[in-house]
Amino acid sequence: MKDPYEVLGVSRTASDNEIKTAYRELVKKYHPDNYANNPLADLASEKMKEVNEAYDAITRSRGSNGSPYQGGGSQSNQYNYGYSYGYGSANTGSSYAQVRAYINANQLDAAESLLNTAPNRDGEWYYLKGTIAYRRGWLDEARQHYQTACAMVPSNYEYQNALRTVQGGYTPYRQTNYQRSDMDDACNICQALMCLNCLCGGGGCR
Amino acid sequence: MFGYVRPRRDLLEQSAFESYHAAYCGLCRALGKQYGFRARFLVNYDMTFLYLLRSSAAPACGVEPCRCPAKLCGRKPCALDTEGYAPVCACTVILGYEKIRDNLRDEGFFKGLPYRLLRLLYRRAYRKAVALLPDFAALCAGQLSALHDLEAASSPSIDAVSDAFARIVAGCVDDVSDPGLRRPMEQILYHTGRFLYLADALDDLKDDCRKDAYNPLRYRFSVEEGSLSREDLDYLSQLTDSSVNLAGAALELLPIMAYRSILENIVYYGFPAVFYAVKTGRFQAKESLWKKRNDQSDHTGETI
Repeated sequence: MKDPYEVLGVSRTASDNEIKTAYRELVKKYHPDNYANNPLADLASEKMKEVNEAYDAITRSRGSNGSPYQGGGSQSNQYNYGYSYGYGSANTGSSYAQVRAYINANQLDAAESLLNTAPNRDGEWYYLKGTIAYRRGWLDEARQHYQTACAMVPSNYEYQNALRTVQGGYTPYRQTNYQRSDMDDACNICQALMCLNCLCGGGGCR
Repeated sequence: MFGYVRPRRDLLEQSAFESYHAAYCGLCRALGKQYGFRARFLVNYDMTFLYLLRSSAAPACGVEPCRCPAKLCGRKPCALDTEGYAPVCACTVILGYEKIRDNLRDEGFFKGLPYRLLRLLYRRAYRKAVALLPDFAALCAGQLSALHDLEAASSPSIDAVSDAFARIVAGCVDDVSDPGLRRPMEQILYHTGRFLYLADALDDLKDDCRKDAYNPLRYRFSVEEGSLSREDLDYLSQLTDSSVNLAGAALELLPIMAYRSILENIVYYGFPAVFYAVKTGRFQAKESLWKKRNDQSDHTGETI
């Protein structure tokens, strides 16, 4: 097993609070939501397991019971569970369940072959077709299938979430800090200022 | 299609910028040592990114001053990593040679003459590189042939055409044995390849419309006077944003020991800034990163 302090990226002299902060950051980083439908979800799951084990090992060795997410040290299960959400549940047809299983195992050709034999093309069919395309990196096709799925079943949160992701609206962990170079925001500010100016009497605001 | 993968210099710390510069010069030096002087002309920012990515899982190598043919007085710091540069140099030579062959295919007899000469000049280096990475050379040939077929059929699928190119870029790490490293690297490079293809297609759109040449954007969207509508440009931006997101998610899974800030800068800042510059017609592929700029406070991406 790797050195738990190395896994969390903290020194051996770090305080409990520093360890907790580092742990929370890593949990945020490898959170299942960041890797939904991502072909690397299994690697992220492994990382999450490693982080949980390292945190457990450190808290045990320090004799503290400070695990922030635990109900009796079971936070590992809590986060690992997250990687399989959405797949294997709430399916109406067994062939869809099998397609999801193939997708989870990254067997995309098998998933697509089976999906193409399905008699009906409902929202779930388009969602799964979109997911196969997304995993292949075919984002234009994925988006079109997700849009059809959302149009057919507008209330499905899973489909909406997938569409949001492929629209580039969902940003993974690190990107919450990155500045877009796009000037749209600046244009919006200018537009808002112009509206304000009109409301104030077209430049005669005193 | 070279020069789109670059960091945002204004957001890169000086020490990280120096490391990037040393990696670039190190690649140039390694190309010269391994494939002869003329191979040095194939050095580019994109392959520097490949080197940084491939060598990120190990501690940074040493740097020492080296002679530079472009700088007659004085020396430049170069990263010294013969082993790490070997596959990157081979990929650079193979891709450079394929680019020459591609240009030759696109041009007529007289305009193609300079490329015939270049092909002759780089043939020996290409054969040496193929001996080192035969699978990658075969992958390049196969995917480029598939790409030509798609272009000949005027494919409207931007996914299909960018996939053919992205697979070549992802193939640059096929020889990495550890799947825990290779899979995230492949995903980063696949989406880098997609990004490169789409950015290049957008950059060339006006010219291709004028020459009535194939450009996937012409068949996927409605193009008027060589430009996309605002909605279509936004759609395309969202597609490249998604690619950046997927590359970023993969980058987070790499056990990075060296060049972290440069890699993050390229993926999170460089890609969006380059795409914005292409979108607004301000991108200049030949603009050097090494020139000192007076305006270091420009955060709009216009300096790209």
